[in-house]
Amino acid sequence: MGKKKQKIVLPPDLPPEVPDEAVEVSDEDVLFVSENREYTGFLSNLDTKSINKHVTRVADVKEDELESLYERRLKKKSLDKETEKQGLEVDPVDALPVKTLDGKLYYRTVPKATQKSENEDKDEATTNNKEAGIDASVVRLTKAEKRAKLKKIRKEAKKQAKEGTEVEDVEQIPQAEVLDEVRNDMTAEEANQKKKFRLAELGTALLTDPESNIKSLKEMLEISKDGDRDIAVLSLQSLLAVFRDIIPGYRIRLPTEKEQEMKVSKAVKKMRFYESTLLSAYKAYIQKLLAVEKQAVYKRVAVRCICILLEAVPHFNFRENLLGAVIRNISSEDDISRKLCCATVKSLFTNEGKHGGEVTVEAVQMIADLVKASDCQLHPDSIEVFMSLTFDDDLGRREAQDAKNKFKSKNAKRKDLKEQKESAANEKKRTRKEMMSKTREEVTTELKAASLATDVAERRRMQTDVLSAIFETYFRVLKHAIKPRSEAGFSSQPAGSYPLLTPCLNGIGKFCQLIDLDFMSDLMNYLRKLARSGNSSDGSSKDVSACLTVSERLQCCIVAFRVMRNNLDALNVDLQDFFVQLYNLLIEYRPGRDKGEILAEALKIMLCDDRQHDMQRAAAFIKRLATFSLCSGPAESLAALVTLKHLLQKNVKCRNLLENDAGGGSVSGAIAKYQPYATDPNLSGALASVLWELNLLSKHYHPAVSTMASNISMLGTGDNQIHLSNKSPQQAFKELSLEQDSFIVKVDLNAKRKKGNASLKHISEGADLDSTVKVDENDVKRKLSEHYSLLHDIAENERLRGELVGTTLSLNLYEQYKKQKKRRTK
Amino acid sequence: FRVYPTEAKMRPLDEQETTQVFEKLHKFVGNNLKNIVENPSHEGTDNTPGRYCFRLQRNRVYYVSESLVKRATNVKRDNLVSLGTQLGKFTKGGKFHLTVQCLGLLAAHAKHKVWLKPTSEMSFLYGNNVLKGGVGRITESISDHDGVVVFSMSDVPLGFGVAAKSTQDCRKMDPNGIVVLHQADIGEYLRMEDDL
Repeated sequence: MGKKKQKIVLPPDLPPEVPDEAVEVSDEDVLFVSENREYTGFLSNLDTKSINKHVTRVADVKEDELESLYERRLKKKSLDKETEKQGLEVDPVDALPVKTLDGKLYYRTVPKATQKSENEDKDEATTNNKEAGIDASVVRLTKAEKRAKLKKIRKEAKKQAKEGTEVEDVEQIPQAEVLDEVRNDMTAEEANQKKKFRLAELGTALLTDPESNIKSLKEMLEISKDGDRDIAVLSLQSLLAVFRDIIPGYRIRLPTEKEQEMKVSKAVKKMRFYESTLLSAYKAYIQKLLAVEKQAVYKRVAVRCICILLEAVPHFNFRENLLGAVIRNISSEDDISRKLCCATVKSLFTNEGKHGGEVTVEAVQMIADLVKASDCQLHPDSIEVFMSLTFDDDLGRREAQDAKNKFKSKNAKRKDLKEQKESAANEKKRTRKEMMSKTREEVTTELKAASLATDVAERRRMQTDVLSAIFETYFRVLKHAIKPRSEAGFSSQPAGSYPLLTPCLNGIGKFCQLIDLDFMSDLMNYLRKLARSGNSSDGSSKDVSACLTVSERLQCCIVAFRVMRNNLDALNVDLQDFFVQLYNLLIEYRPGRDKGEILAEALKIMLCDDRQHDMQRAAAFIKRLATFSLCSGPAESLAALVTLKHLLQKNVKCRNLLENDAGGGSVSGAIAKYQPYATDPNLSGALASVLWELNLLSKHYHPAVSTMASNISMLGTGDNQIHLSNKSPQQAFKELSLEQDSFIVKVDLNAKRKKGNASLKHISEGADLDSTVKVDENDVKRKLSEHYSLLHDIAENERLRGELVGTTLSLNLYEQYKKQKKRRTK
Repeated sequence: FRVYPTEAKMRPLDEQETTQVFEKLHKFVGNNLKNIVENPSHEGTDNTPGRYCFRLQRNRVYYVSESLVKRATNVKRDNLVSLGTQLGKFTKGGKFHLTVQCLGLLAAHAKHKVWLKPTSEMSFLYGNNVLKGGVGRITESISDHDGVVVFSMSDVPLGFGVAAKSTQDCRKMDPNGIVVLHQADIGEYLRMEDDL
C-alpha cells in the first residue's frame, strides 16, 4: 500500500489551511471507525473524489498557486454536481459563447491546470455547441475551429484515461467498507464518464472523417441504449449532431439486387457501403427516437432531436416518419415541444427550397388528417402554422407564357423548315453549317422550355394539393363550428369551445383570393350561419351553437368582407346579412369581454371601406354607433365616432339627423318612428330620430372623444370639407387604448390645476397633489354619501308608499265586506 | 265612369286570393311580409294606430288602412276608382300580378336589391331587362327566380323584376347576360298611363 504511505507522509507539506480530515487519518481513527461503524455513514456521503484530489493535487503544486487552485476547485465541485445531475445543465458563464465582432463564436475554456474540470467543460461545450445549433442555429463554428476543438477534446480524453488509473490508485482509503461503497459509486461514475468520453471521441472521429469511421455510428447507437438517462440523452444529442453534419444533400437509394450483381469500381463499392451503413444507422436512430418519444422522460429530448433533424435534412430518407412524429406533437399539451414542432413546420413551409415543396404537401395533408381525426379539438397553434405558407400567384401566368413561347417556337420551326428547303436548293455547304448551329440552338431552347414547363406543372400540382388540404381543414373547422352541439356530443367537449375557429378565420382571410369561385357560395353560407349563431333574438338558432363569442362573430363578418373584396371581379356585391349582424353585434359588445381591435377592424372594413350604403342603413348605423359610443370606453367610442363621422361625410342626406327636428320629414321613409330595438337596420327608421347623443358626448371626460363629438355636430351646419381627417377607426382605437394607462394620471393633473386655482394656491407644488387628492377624496365621499342617502330616502319612500297602499286596500276590502254583510243581513 | 264587367264591390280577399298575393309579395320581401301586414297606420283621427288591410275592388288589390276603408264606404261603389296603395291586379285567367304602384312598399321592405349604374338606368326605364354590365351593385345571396327590387345608385327605387341568375352565377357571367327580368318600372307611369 504505497499510496497509503504516501498519503500519511504528505500532510506535513500542506499549508495550515488544508482541511483536517485528510490529515488526521491515523491508526487510532481506523480503530475507532471499525469499532463504531454506524458513524461511518457520513463518509459515504463525503465527496471523496474531490477530497482525494485535494490531497493528491496539493502535493504537486507550489504553495503560491494553491489559493487559485482552491477557488477553481470550488467551481469545479459545483460543476461536477451539476453534470452528475443532468448532462445538459451547464454553468451559465461557461456555457455562453462569446461572439466577436467578425461573427465568430468562441467558447470559454478553463486553463489546462485543472484537467478534469476542463474536460468536463469541454464536454459541456460540445453539448453547448449542439444546443446552440438547436436553439438558435445562429452561427455555427467554422469547420477549422471545430476541428481544432475536437482535437483538443481528444487529447483531453486520452489524458483523462491516464488520469483515471491514477485516480483509482489514489482511491485506496484505509477504511475497507467505505472504500467498497465508494468504489462502487466510482466505478459507475467512471463508466458513465468513460461512455461520455467515448461518445465524444466517436463523434469527433466521425465528423473529421465520416467515410472511414462510419462504423462507429453503431457503437454510438449502442451507447444510446444505456439505461442511464443522462448518457442516453447525451448520446442521442451527439448522434443528432453527427447526423446533421454527415447526411448528404441527396436522398440515398439502396442499390437493387441487379445493381449489386454488377461489377463496380472500388470507389463505388466503398461509397455504397458507406451509404448503406449510414442509412441503416440513421434508420435505427430514428426508430430509437420514435420509441423514446413515447416515454415521458425522454419526450422533450426526442421531440427536439426530431425537430432539428427534420429541419436540417427534410430531403433525406425516412422524413415521413419524422414528419409524422412532429405533426403528432403539434398540438401536444407540453408547451415547449408544441412550440418546437410548430416552429419546425413553419420553417419547413418557409424554406421550401430545401425539399422542393414535397414535405409541405405531406405536412399539410397530415395536419388535415389530424384535424379530421381529433374532431377539431386541437390547440390553435396547429392551424396557425398554415399562415406561414406562401403561394405563388404567378404560377398559372407563367405557364401560359410558356405555352405562348412554345407556340412561337413551333412557328419558328416551320419557317426554318421552309428556309431550309429553299437554301438547300442553292448552297448546300454553307447552309449546312448554319443549319447545325440553328438546330443546336433550337434543341437547347426546347430542352430548357421543356424542363421549365414540367417544373412549373409539378409545382402547380403541389400547390393545388396544399391548397385543397388547407381548405379542407378550414371547411371542416367551419362545419364543426356550425354543427349543433347535440350532434357534436355533449360529453366530449366543453361548451362553446371552438379552439380552431379563430386561426381558421384568419387563414381564410389570408388565402381567400385563392378560393375557387365554386366554393365561394358555400363559404359565405357558412360564414353567414356562424355570424348569425348566438343571436339570442332568434329562438330557433339558440340551440344551434349559441356559444360563439362576439369577437368570433365579428371576425366572421370581417372575413366575409375580405373574401368579397379580394374577389371583386366587376360585380359589387352587397352583404346585407352581415350588416344586419354587425348592427346587432354593436349592442352585444362589452368593452372588457370582447376584443376592441376586432371591432375597430370590423367598423373599418364594413362601414368605412365600403363605397356606398343605403340611406336608411347608413342612418341606422349612425344612430347605433352614437348610442354605442355613449356606453363604452373612450377607445371604442372614439373608433365608433370616427366611423360615424365617415358615414356622415359620405351620406349627405343623413345629416338631417344632426338637426334638432325629429320626424325626418320626407326622407324618413315608411317607418315614421325610430325603433331602437329593431334588428334590421333598414327597418329601424333611424332617419326619424335625432343624434342627441353627440351633445352628451361633447361633454365626455376624454378630450379626444369630446372634441370629435363636437366636430361631428358641426358637420351639419358649416362647410365640412376643411376637417376631413382620414383617421381609421383602428388607428383611433389603438391610440386611445395605448393612452388609456397614462390617461388616468392626466385627469388627476387636470383636477389639480382647477383646484389649485380655486383654493390651494398657497400650498407648494409637492404637497399640492396629495392635498388635492385628499380634497378630492373628501369631496367624493361627501357626494357619494349624499347620493346614497338620497337613494336610501327614495327607497324608504317607496316602501312606505307600498305599505300605505296595502293598508288602504285592506281597509277598502273590509268596508266592502261589511257592506256585503249588511246586504245579506237585510 | 266605366263600370267593369266583373264585380265592382269592394271586399276583403278570400283565402285563395290571399295566399296568391302573399306568395307574390313573399318573393320580394321575404320575412318582412310580417312587417307589411302588421304595419301600424297612423291615419285618421284615432289615437290608437290602426292596421292596414288588403281589399279587392274591380280585380285590383289595394293595401289600405282600416280608417280609410271605413271612410271609403261613403263613396258610391261605381264612383270609387281607387283607394290606398294598389298592389296589383288579378288577370282574367285568375293570376295575380304586381303593378308599379306597389314599388314604394316593396322598396321599403325589399330583401334582394340590385343597384343600376347611371348609364343603364334609362334602358331599364324603357322596359328592358337588366344586364350584368349595368349592375352597379347587387345583394349577396340572391337565388334565381327571387323577386328583386331595382334601385338607382342614389337609392331611388326604379322598378322590380325577377332574378334570372343567382348572385354566384352572376359572377361568372359575361357582361351581356341578363341578371334581372323586367316586370315593372316607373317608366310605366308615362308609357302606360291609361292602363294603370
